[in-house]
Amino acid sequence: MPNMLCFSRNRCTTVEQVDAQTLRSSCRIQDTLMDACVEVLVKVPDLELVDVKSEIRRSDIGGQIGVIEDVEKAIGSRIGPGIKKIIRGLIEHSPHAEQIAILFEECCNGVILSFTKDVLVHVPKDRAGEKESFTAIVRANPRLYNSCAALSADSPLMAGVELERS
Amino acid sequence: MLKFARNTLAGVCRKDKDTLSVHGVLEDDIYGLEVDLELSFPGLEILSVRGEWKRMENSQCPRAIPFLQETVGFRVDGDFVRKVQKTVGRKACRHFADLIVECGDAAKESVRIIGVEEAKVQKFDIEIGDLFVKPEKRGETETVSPRAETGQRGEEPFAGMLIDIHVHSYPASPCSSLSVREIIEEAKAAGLDGICLTDHGYLWNPADVEELRQKHGFLVLRGNEVTTEQGDILVFGLEEDIKGVIKMDELREKVLAAGGFMVVAHPFRGFLTFGVGYLGLTTEKAMARPVFQQVDAVEVLNVKVSAEENNFAAQVAKGLGLPVTGGSDAHSAGEVGVYATRFPAVIRNERDFLNALRAGNFSPVSRRNR
Repeated sequence: MPNMLCFSRNRCTTVEQVDAQTLRSSCRIQDTLMDACVEVLVKVPDLELVDVKSEIRRSDIGGQIGVIEDVEKAIGSRIGPGIKKIIRGLIEHSPHAEQIAILFEECCNGVILSFTKDVLVHVPKDRAGEKESFTAIVRANPRLYNSCAALSADSPLMAGVELERS
Repeated sequence: MLKFARNTLAGVCRKDKDTLSVHGVLEDDIYGLEVDLELSFPGLEILSVRGEWKRMENSQCPRAIPFLQETVGFRVDGDFVRKVQKTVGRKACRHFADLIVECGDAAKESVRIIGVEEAKVQKFDIEIGDLFVKPEKRGETETVSPRAETGQRGEEPFAGMLIDIHVHSYPASPCSSLSVREIIEEAKAAGLDGICLTDHGYLWNPADVEELRQKHGFLVLRGNEVTTEQGDILVFGLEEDIKGVIKMDELREKVLAAGGFMVVAHPFRGFLTFGVGYLGLTTEKAMARPVFQQVDAVEVLNVKVSAEENNFAAQVAKGLGLPVTGGSDAHSAGEVGVYATRFPAVIRNERDFLNALRAGNFSPVSRRNR
């Protein structure tokens, strides 16, 4: 028998600029058991959630099919470091809460990564330029220091970088 | 045109009767990575892991790869996400951590599907939905009360009080690694006159706090850090155990009714990422945020945020004419008392504390270079 998949999942997140002040971020999961999506509208520069929609389109694991209205409770929240806790707190009793929370978090993550991309396009490809850029980035956002292997204290990119929080 | 796109794929096949093979791919505008996992069936223990960068953010990202081996032996259970994020996410790369979590979840679903398929072969009357346990409701977990300690009454505090009004203790705040005893010892060593326990969604028993105060001869006050849809709020003087997330309007109503006091905590705490600082948020725009209309003061010194973010909060508070506070937000050793709030009045108890807050007679103090 061929080595056939017994389970397959595709999670797709996209972020588009609706207008100068608005981003639309959506995340959809389609897997063997489920098809669901979350879509958010975000105002910049506050990153305030001005609209949130969610729908379960298919579920073979039981539970509600259709629009999940609980996500609308997050309207007015700001995409910030505490957003995961807010999302999970607001929709904890919703149908498929865990999967909806992940989709919602991915929408927020996509928004943040879209800004990360804007910064990274300016990082030079040569090692000296790269080190200079990342040193500046970490100095501007000290939380990044030691946040991953590439930006750890013993990484060449962080050589000579000494930081003091606030 | 899309500003950003990410695709995450996970596929699971049964390699043999005892092994699942999972292939995961994460492909977005910035990163391209793949992992191959083998897990035991049906126990879902990671037997092997292999990761590879296809495209990466910088030349040092490959340093993350060796850390992936730390997941070997992890079992996909209720603690799986936390363990992967703690090891791979913190030490290696959060994108690899996310992909391994996705693969683990895919493997878990596969076990259910295989169970149904095998049951059908054996002609058992079972559907896929029957194998899914209804999720537990969050917020129903009973929190163990931090043990109060007993001892002797200490000295009376003196006029002009320096108090760290934002600290987190374990186990009341699971994210903290500091016991109350450690907090008090650090606070004393730092020359503070008192602390206020502001644990997440945890209401301290007044008698327990009084016992702490007597045992250590040190001022211990009670507060709470409450999560709202507008962010985290330090609440003082509210005798209600608020779990989960509460709407800001509702919280404000409760605090006003109780005669309490609200401080917006770290209002501009940023992200563990690049770029958001370039959004161009101005003081004027920030001042219009609804949260500032519903609090009594603004925290402008907090260890967990950058100097720029603290400064920005101070500018916004100044623009709005709101009082300002300082607090460490301590979760681990060395943080207690780095920032604090000075009260010219004598504070002996919570009533004095609330009166001082309501009077607006206080100021934030940085003690970073003490």
